[in-house]
Amino acid sequence: MTEAADIHSWDGPTMDVALKIWRVDEDGERDLVSYELEAPEWACLLDVLDLIKDRHDGTLAYRKSCRMMICGSCGMRMDGRAVLACKERMKPIVEAGHVPTISPMGNLPIIKDLVVDMGPFWQKIRDVKPWLDPGYDEASERERIVSQQQMNVIHKEALCIMCGCCVSECNAMEADPDFRGPAALAKGMRFVGDARDQATVERLNEYNDEHGIWDCTRCYFCNERCPKGVDPRDAIAKLGAESVKEGVDWDMGVKHAKWFVTSTKTTGWLRETELVPKTQGILSALKETKFALALARRGKVPPPGPIHVAADVDEARNLYDLVKEQGRDGALGIVQGEKALAQIEHVLAADPDHAPASRISPEESGGKSAGSEA
Amino acid sequence: MKVAYYKGCLASLSAKELDTSTQALAPMLGIELDELESVTCCGAGDIHEAEPDYYLHLNARILAYGEATGADTLMTICNVCTLNLRQANWQLKNDDELRARVNQNLETVGAPPYSGNIEVKHLLWLIAEGDGYETLKGVAHKGLKGLKVAPFYGCQILRPSKILGFEDPDRPHSLEAIIDACGGEAVDYPAKIKCCGFPIIQAREETALGELLQPIQQATEAGADVMVTPCPLCHLSLDAWQSKLRERTGRDFQMPILHLSQLIGVAAGLEESELKFKRHVVPVQPALDKIEV
Repeated sequence: MTEAADIHSWDGPTMDVALKIWRVDEDGERDLVSYELEAPEWACLLDVLDLIKDRHDGTLAYRKSCRMMICGSCGMRMDGRAVLACKERMKPIVEAGHVPTISPMGNLPIIKDLVVDMGPFWQKIRDVKPWLDPGYDEASERERIVSQQQMNVIHKEALCIMCGCCVSECNAMEADPDFRGPAALAKGMRFVGDARDQATVERLNEYNDEHGIWDCTRCYFCNERCPKGVDPRDAIAKLGAESVKEGVDWDMGVKHAKWFVTSTKTTGWLRETELVPKTQGILSALKETKFALALARRGKVPPPGPIHVAADVDEARNLYDLVKEQGRDGALGIVQGEKALAQIEHVLAADPDHAPASRISPEESGGKSAGSEA
Repeated sequence: MKVAYYKGCLASLSAKELDTSTQALAPMLGIELDELESVTCCGAGDIHEAEPDYYLHLNARILAYGEATGADTLMTICNVCTLNLRQANWQLKNDDELRARVNQNLETVGAPPYSGNIEVKHLLWLIAEGDGYETLKGVAHKGLKGLKVAPFYGCQILRPSKILGFEDPDRPHSLEAIIDACGGEAVDYPAKIKCCGFPIIQAREETALGELLQPIQQATEAGADVMVTPCPLCHLSLDAWQSKLRERTGRDFQMPILHLSQLIGVAAGLEESELKFKRHVVPVQPALDKIEV
């Protein structure tokens, strides 16, 4: 970039960019509009939108502010993936000859074009009480030092810029719009994991509600989309682990999870037949008798006993006792693996030349996925 | 190639047909299975969430027994096992301090230590890498005769891609290529990479069924004769819970769901005793009758 690297006036090499934008008006009418324009080679998606608005169509609506991946304003979808417009370089896409389709984020009401109503998003953030509850009204005269080790527990959660990219693609929220969602729960973990916060059990009881921790379906879209490495799904798992550690174990979801622990400690393998009554309780399970019998006829409900016990299962039992003695309970058990996971370089084994431009949407490729033509 | 075969829980229990079809198919694909006996459940994401330190140790123990077979590869046949084992494997391989502590614990209980020398790969990837598709064309001598097959990937073989890392998580193509190599016609639909709802189908059935509806409905409307999935948990959700969509939508979908090993198995001429379609809730035979299998 030179000194003249302003999107409205630039020197240097240019490229011809083509893209389609889903335009949505105030009445919800949708129209897919094509644009072709000249842009500097260094342009990102946000730069291109600025050029369109400046030179082609001043009515295009989108949000932006910082242009450097920290304000979280310009979340939108490119070819169906939630991205920050300021983070997506256009050059490889142009070089691949691809014409991306831009649309607003999902799971939030559309106001106009690429602008969504963030109201429901902010309400869910507010609902997790995103402020520190230190358990006292007046601060002591001496400062309270928090160690780096203690802050490492919530390092990733603290990176969130609340752009909404995780929420956009949350599969559980599509099915249950009231799901607290990945952004709010990651924010909740940021306070549950904060050594200074004194409302841990109260928070966990709230986050364990019907639309909370155990409503997450583990689709991992949030981890995949987050532009800042927050990994919201991992934050939700940390909340689950903290719930078990603190004895907040009244929800069916946590009972389900704990039954897996019991299974591996006793037989080694999942005791599948008992999973329903252990999760839902005997009465609820009985209501499902007709459904269960239909499955049983097909061998889907293995009959109780003799229980299949894994060879050398004593090792798994003893491991449990040993690990519990060492006390890395709760979120710490997940945090300890983060150092290694942070080293992963993203290379796809099946597609070493992988670039965003290869992600051609089904409608763009006549119904075939990109790779099948390779 | 010899692989350490980790079949996981469901293939031992409600999805035995996945194990029998995999055992029958593997030699035809040149895969020699060394089945692991002294192993447990991977925790299915549930132990990772409830007792994450125990999750790491359980998976380290599975990896250690896999490594002890002398194979380079531990083969999985379940998305969830694949993610759990690969995540733990990455952590153990890339953090010497963590591995040393885990190994000390493994040795204390009499299990072998893990040196970090095995790769975890799903059967789908073993077929899709190298010249697998060409091998498959030879194996699939009976073919699928244009059967319309909707691929359903599920989540944890695609995402998080930094841990799974085999193919583009948004536009995967390995299943389509396999369907093509077997003489079927791949049917495309957006929900093929989305969630089947299984992890929460017992604790939050309403949410889960809302998710399950998307792939079943879209595959039906796209004209699929059958769906295929590489994951027994997705299979259980798509097959066994499909009838519950009737209460929600009034529609009786009747979409047959095949395990990956069954779909290839049909094309390769495996017997019913190996395919075990009788164990399915939604009947498969009407779809197979179309291609006279």
